[in-house]
Amino acid sequence: MSAVGLPAARRTTLGFERLRLLLRSPAFLVGLGIILFWVSCALFGRLLVDPLADDILNSLAPPSAEHWFGTDELGRDMFARVIAGSRDILVVAPLATLLGIALGTALGLVMGFFPGWVDDVLSRIVEAVLALPLLILALLALTALGASNATVVAAIGLSFMPIVARTVRAAVMTERNLDYVAAARLRGESALHLMGFEILPNILPPIVVELTVRLGYAIFTVATLSFLGVGLQPPSPDWGLAISENYALIGGGYWWTVLFDALAIASLVIAVNLVADGLAEVAE
Amino acid sequence: MLGLLLRRLPYAAVTLFILSLLVFAGGQLLPGDVGRAVLGPLADPRAVAALNHQLGADRPALVQYGEWIGRFVRGDMSQSFAFRAPVAPFVGAALWNSLKLGGVAFTLVVPLGILGGIVAALNRGRLLDRAIVLVGLSATVVPEFVSGIVLILVFGIGLKLFPISATPPPGAGAAVQLYYLVLPAIPLVFIVFGYIARMARAGTVEALDSDYARTAVLKGLPRRDVVMRHVLRNALLPTITVVASQTGYLVGGLVVIETLFHYQGIGSLIYTAARGHDFPMLEAGIMTVGVIYVLSTLAADMLLAALNPRIRAGGRA
Amino acid sequence: MKQFKSIDALRRGLGAVENDLVDEILAGRLDRRSFLRHGSVMGLSLSTLGGLAGAVGLVAPRRAMAQGKPGDTIRVAIATPAGAVDPVTVADDGGLTMLIQAGEFLCVTQADLTLKPVLATSWSHNDDSSVWTFKLRPGVKFISGGTLKADDVIATIDRLADPANASNALSAFKGILSKGNARKVDDLTVEFHLDAPYGAFPYVVSSDNYNCIILPASYKGDYEKNWDGTGPFKLDKFTPKVGASFVRNPDYWGDKALPDRTEFTYFDALQPRILALQGGQVDLIDQLPVIGGQALLNDPNVTIIREKSTAHQQVHMRCDAGPFADKRVRRAMALTLDRQKLVAGLLRGYGEIGNDTPFATVYPSAAPTIAQRKQDIAEAKQLLEAAGVGKGFKVNLTTETYLEIPQYAVLLQNFARAVGIDIELKIESQDAYYGKAVFGQSDWLDSTMGITDYGHRGVPNVFLRAPLLSDGSWNAAHFKNKDYDALVDQFGRTSDVGGQRDLAAKIETLLLDETPVLFGYFFDYLVPTRKGLAGIPPIPNRLFLDRAGFV
Repeated sequence: MSAVGLPAARRTTLGFERLRLLLRSPAFLVGLGIILFWVSCALFGRLLVDPLADDILNSLAPPSAEHWFGTDELGRDMFARVIAGSRDILVVAPLATLLGIALGTALGLVMGFFPGWVDDVLSRIVEAVLALPLLILALLALTALGASNATVVAAIGLSFMPIVARTVRAAVMTERNLDYVAAARLRGESALHLMGFEILPNILPPIVVELTVRLGYAIFTVATLSFLGVGLQPPSPDWGLAISENYALIGGGYWWTVLFDALAIASLVIAVNLVADGLAEVAE
Repeated sequence: MLGLLLRRLPYAAVTLFILSLLVFAGGQLLPGDVGRAVLGPLADPRAVAALNHQLGADRPALVQYGEWIGRFVRGDMSQSFAFRAPVAPFVGAALWNSLKLGGVAFTLVVPLGILGGIVAALNRGRLLDRAIVLVGLSATVVPEFVSGIVLILVFGIGLKLFPISATPPPGAGAAVQLYYLVLPAIPLVFIVFGYIARMARAGTVEALDSDYARTAVLKGLPRRDVVMRHVLRNALLPTITVVASQTGYLVGGLVVIETLFHYQGIGSLIYTAARGHDFPMLEAGIMTVGVIYVLSTLAADMLLAALNPRIRAGGRA
Repeated sequence: MKQFKSIDALRRGLGAVENDLVDEILAGRLDRRSFLRHGSVMGLSLSTLGGLAGAVGLVAPRRAMAQGKPGDTIRVAIATPAGAVDPVTVADDGGLTMLIQAGEFLCVTQADLTLKPVLATSWSHNDDSSVWTFKLRPGVKFISGGTLKADDVIATIDRLADPANASNALSAFKGILSKGNARKVDDLTVEFHLDAPYGAFPYVVSSDNYNCIILPASYKGDYEKNWDGTGPFKLDKFTPKVGASFVRNPDYWGDKALPDRTEFTYFDALQPRILALQGGQVDLIDQLPVIGGQALLNDPNVTIIREKSTAHQQVHMRCDAGPFADKRVRRAMALTLDRQKLVAGLLRGYGEIGNDTPFATVYPSAAPTIAQRKQDIAEAKQLLEAAGVGKGFKVNLTTETYLEIPQYAVLLQNFARAVGIDIELKIESQDAYYGKAVFGQSDWLDSTMGITDYGHRGVPNVFLRAPLLSDGSWNAAHFKNKDYDALVDQFGRTSDVGGQRDLAAKIETLLLDETPVLFGYFFDYLVPTRKGLAGIPPIPNRLFLDRAGFV
């Protein structure tokens, strides 16, 4: 199933081998480069540009030498906002992913470890929630919770929970009857210990793969929720939010107020998936 | 086949029941109440209380749920709180719109996806293969509103080839309606193409590597025949599962496209109902999406069983 | 001399209050518009008023209003009504636009804030304005067949004033008119016995209070079944969430509608409405906010009807707790605003600056002598220093996603930064912001600082009362001031404009000193139409289409 159980030296060589493979994949490298670019924008962007400074009497100016990407309705520099717009989504999406993975893993461990009525009941509930599209689920959660960075993390985390739980449950099922679990059971270890210290380390690889896949979805979902007005809130220069604020303008030819944000989102999600795909391929 | 169906139906019913309970419980968390939502923030509290009483929204939650589910199992979707009229026609109209848009997207993406997957598999390892995989992967992860905006900018406003609203003028014929749905359907094609192409490619690769395909080639059958006869069916099997898994999304999850292209589908019906505390409308919308999900999953399983005798023999998939 | 004689002749027929109005004019304190407006509250017929105005030399400026041709079909894009179209409960723009197509009011608030008699022909009041008598128009037919009588008016008003009825008009009647206090004098005369004297009562039953369309006494609460009323149009077809169409009512009591047909299409969002007008699928849009509406403001094929209004966004600051408990801090915040820039930038000039009181200059009762507050960072800093917060402070501003409010919030945040006030924005959906809309369960009413939208009103009374009175149910600022309450009470009872202005001067001075609420600007309503469409009266948020037609 994984490198667990191999001699340490062998594992390191395997690691190096994989890294070498990764570094030979142009798709992976391009993706990594784009991510690093946006991460550095998120970290240092606001030191260089001010996305909030308004110049209201110079609103909706087209791209020029002074404003490379033009200005929005409040006369704010679109270039500054696109650069600084990477920050919130790069904080919220990974946090939401981690929350979803943590909750889903916990639920999946319980479901897989206690077959019988516990698993039956929880499985039915998970199945019921999965009948709804992810976006509808997150949208309903945010309508109930109200929109803020914290609630977006919570809503997406909760929405990820059932699907992660299903993956983890399947992995636990195969591990549960293996010898090392039986041995630990004989030693009289508690259920909590068995789940947390025996089974969990052995199902980490599929969880890590799930994590990278979920991260892509999380970015997708955060951007979408912001576009619908229930995600990140003004005055955040978030890309999805900017498109939502400005798309009524496109009929008037103010294309620069949405185009660069759209391209920024596209570049980030594609990059994350190139990297995730590269990792998954090497892991196989 | 019938046995499989009979075994699965109770599970489906339980799933839907739990879903309705969850939505109802979640609905209790929504801020404000329906009387306030209808009458607005400036209305007198006495008027708000009166409206909540008229609608029965001031009764205990479980009583309301009991009455609702009692009617629902008898096929009555109750009255909308906001519109004070039966819910069914609203859901029916929204569902019909969603099915039209989803249908156009499906018709475009299924053949394209399968074709893309097979072509990629036949050119395995070559540039064309990589290109298809990469494009599919990228298109799948770009949010609909991003591709939608770019499409609107280029084809709607720049080239003026397509209308940028999905709603045709009243009384439009089928052809005109189709014309209005092309642009909104393309972002959906992008999203789903990658999944289908990937599964079709995997299925084809597996089939090409299988013993029977090799034997057939060794027997001197033309490659085209081998592909048509053996590979295609095997490529289709995993694709069906993916298509089924995307049905719920393609019918109920299109809030973004519906918002962007001004279209009244089931997704925006659910969202509007949730914001307006219109509980009967919300439940009806959710149950509709749930039923579609359950039915499409069921249909996919039946189809797989029909195409693949091993599953039929093996019982629960 | 001759002029004065003719005035005297007219005066003889008038009461004390009306004569006071004439004095105001002669003293040069009233312009023509204000004069007409005040006369109309008092039920002077327009011909009498016109005569008076002519006699004192206030001749109406002749406005060449283009007249469209009859027989057109007018296609309109409006916001989707949020729920059932029901005159008792409707609270949203889409719904009210539907109500006023077939429905009519006793009187209608005009663009210049005067009242035009519609189903009432005239009205008058007793000495202290506590009893108002309305004469009804004879021979008005309901679409369902009956003739308009006093009983219909009484039933309509009672229905709306009944606390058991889920009436959206209940808060407008609160403290003014209760159920059972509208009484029949004869078949065409109704008397309203008010809870307390109220000088602006006709506005309470005018189109200002849009739920007050007059329906037959027999109305059963099923408006969507029959769309009854007395108006120039009658319903042709209605599909919930999709649209409605109307045709000319051949039995209308007044000038028959010019258009053959009107067709309304519902849209949830602004952008598709804009695109529908640009694409030629509709002829006009109900309302265009400046933010997000730039595409049409510059479009050469579009004419913008500009409707002066008193609509505004109130920025409340909690007077009872937190950093704004000290009025010097509230004044300092007010002094950071560059109001000219707000109007020029945020509203593209479509509005007027506010002076931190509800008295927009279009109100004839607004005191003309109060100085306009201007941006003054130095003074703001001094005030903060004096209040002991010279280093500045952090504060949360909570508000709703509606019109230009989020953008206004961002500008306020940037203005306040100049004096060290660090505003953190919390922008929510409208549901979340208003919550249960009662104290303790509403971000609107509980937040330290917030921005709330208020629509157009023909008189400032509503703005002066619920949001600012000590026991006001919309008093988000938690402003409690006995002097203010007494002044507003007196203002409500006063029906002569001179007295109103004296009181307004005191109220404005008090509000400028206390500054519980920032009134940064009053914005115009903009109605974009296809070029060549004429005959739509510039009345904010009331789309009357009976004179519409293409030139």
